[in-house]
Amino acid sequence: MIGIGNFKATDCSGIGRRSFLKTAAAIPFTLGSTNQVMEAAQAAQKSGKVKSVILLWLWGGPSHIDTFDPKPDAPMEYRGPFGTIPTKTPGMHFTELMPLMASRSDKYTMIRSMVTTSNDHPTAGTIGLTGFNENAGPVQPNFGSIIAKDQVSTEALPSFFYVGRGIPRDLPRRIEGYGGGTLGKAYDPFLVRADEHGEVSIPQLDLLKGITPKRIQDRQRLLHQLDNAERRLESAGIDEWHRTHQSAYGLLADSKARQAFDLTQESEKVRSRYGQTTFGQGCLLARRLAEARVPYIQVNWSEYVETFSPNCDFGWDTHIFNFELLQDRHCPILDRAYSALIDDLSDRGMLDDTLLIAMGEFGRTPKISNRAAREHHKDCYFSIWAGGGIEPGRVIGESDAKAEHPITRPITPLQVGTTIAELCGIGARKRAEMKVLDGGSVIHELI
Amino acid sequence: MSLSKSLLVAVSLGFNGYAGEERITYDGSNKRDPIFIAEGKTLVYCLDEMDDLIRAVSLDLSDPKSEPVPLFDDDRSHQTELAYSPDERFVSFSECVGNLTGKLVIRDLAAKKDAIINHSGRGAYRTPVFTVDGKRVIYAFAEKGPMQLWSVDLEGKDKKQLTETEGLSHWPSFTPDGEKMVFANSRENNYEIYIREIKGGEEGRLTENRIMDIRPRVSPDGSKICFVSTRDGNYEIYVMNIDGSDVVRITDNEERDDFPSWHPDGNRIVYVSERDGQKDIFLVDIPKPIEVTAK
Repeated sequence: MIGIGNFKATDCSGIGRRSFLKTAAAIPFTLGSTNQVMEAAQAAQKSGKVKSVILLWLWGGPSHIDTFDPKPDAPMEYRGPFGTIPTKTPGMHFTELMPLMASRSDKYTMIRSMVTTSNDHPTAGTIGLTGFNENAGPVQPNFGSIIAKDQVSTEALPSFFYVGRGIPRDLPRRIEGYGGGTLGKAYDPFLVRADEHGEVSIPQLDLLKGITPKRIQDRQRLLHQLDNAERRLESAGIDEWHRTHQSAYGLLADSKARQAFDLTQESEKVRSRYGQTTFGQGCLLARRLAEARVPYIQVNWSEYVETFSPNCDFGWDTHIFNFELLQDRHCPILDRAYSALIDDLSDRGMLDDTLLIAMGEFGRTPKISNRAAREHHKDCYFSIWAGGGIEPGRVIGESDAKAEHPITRPITPLQVGTTIAELCGIGARKRAEMKVLDGGSVIHELI
Repeated sequence: MSLSKSLLVAVSLGFNGYAGEERITYDGSNKRDPIFIAEGKTLVYCLDEMDDLIRAVSLDLSDPKSEPVPLFDDDRSHQTELAYSPDERFVSFSECVGNLTGKLVIRDLAAKKDAIINHSGRGAYRTPVFTVDGKRVIYAFAEKGPMQLWSVDLEGKDKKQLTETEGLSHWPSFTPDGEKMVFANSRENNYEIYIREIKGGEEGRLTENRIMDIRPRVSPDGSKICFVSTRDGNYEIYVMNIDGSDVVRITDNEERDDFPSWHPDGNRIVYVSERDGQKDIFLVDIPKPIEVTAK
């Protein structure tokens, strides 16, 4: 672990806390960097308004019925152990696990009628992030890659960031739809990570041993070290280093870009508001990147879907301990971090041109399993939308009495991606030119 | 909450006593399940050692400079919800060594031997507690749907199912005479706290809210129960008499207060409190006499 840029901070209890960019990980992570005319026209009124998208990717399949779509009148074997609480949106209740988000529901709009087509994590993950099944030919690009191709970051920053520990995966394999896909690896995401203390690391720079904060300013020396690293990697047969090298160097050499990663520039009050968790500090980092006008930031809840397995970082795949982990860990972290982020975006006047979305790849079976938990459920889940000109404080879509299926028009990941693109000014014609999101339609209820 | 704020809260609630408070940890990392052992000289709890590992640690309270040290050698399994036998020869906890492979450990610390418990299915073992005589372990496990309470001997044998109810049953705790068991169950749409006679099985309900009342623990003298409730809009620690009467709120923080456990002296409660986004362990006095707030 090598610090690159060292920023001192002191917390309110007087305990020194470090926050710095540092390199990490053992292996270099070479992520790079005739639709509905009426709908498009409607969306065009808002198109181009969104400058940054933040996607909170709740990896593993969060239980919709235990969080944002409770069914207190469902039979015992469905409804779960949690009480419900009102939200600020008339008629909308959450479970008692989400009190902070409930008290802010006037700032976002909830979709309760999401559906997808796979109950397999990596496949549903690809569908959720690209709109398409990974088995239907070449992998389609991640929504972020589409935005990254169309919009260039205004600073010396990549246009598409992953904030998190690594490419989303389950134990057997990673998802295919994590990056550029048919658009090419140039539009892969650039990975950064914030730990629970707000220390930011860039795995791409792992081989730059010996670089100290002072030396960041010494461009010649830095270049020399990067060149050495490049030679080492080339000799090891690792591709894509040049592009990653460029991005990484750009980050290090540009003081404005570096500042985007320096969470100590935030007040202690702001940092603590997000919570001392990797997801919370990741959300804060995402806000800073959005402030630096990075077009697309995907904050990954976890690298692994597995919820309670050593070496796996507590994903939402709650086949066991569903109710226990939601209560003790997952929901408090999400409730706090999301609320802090939306408050922060709102307070800074960023919600007008920042689109904030939270969702996973599917929901969980409303019927409680023999393990007193819940399994994968592709037929009904949620997504949460805020900012970007979307009218907040609404519920779109409705599920049936057991939260098993939508009883209103189902909304798909392809529609999610199309709506994101539309709000970012990538209309139907441009999408056709880019050969992306084919057949997708805008979620017109949102706009 | 600072001591001054604790005093203020105590006064504002009309307590005759005061709620003093001591902060035990300062690192802010995610923690859970604190309990005292060694007559209150050692605190054991579970800590996020890394972003993918929860590990049981112990903290020597007799040395102000002491740091938490791992309780067990195994550094690649999640370890949560520890309980000790009355003589502290045995420790039981929930352990996860791989994906969907949770198990309940009953460890003989003297013989350095673990008991093995066999259940059908791959459900999650939770919330073990030793009976008062130290001869059995009670725990929660879902074998065929609802989470039920079970009992095994110290070798993990002679398995018996103690509850057969709807909903999820958790957090068993015994009165010192061993005649009653307190636990929480979700059959009434949310977690409520119940008390059951061990002989005869007669059961009474101690709480009645539309939102959760969880993690009950009987005090060392058997007269009170501490528990967690969100009845006032936030996770707070409460104490009530063993019959459910005279409920008093012990904590009053804007963020979450959870995982309460009694100090052996019966006058204090240790718990995890989230403050400014950091989770640390605090020890708070129980106000005397208890002021009634609500049931």
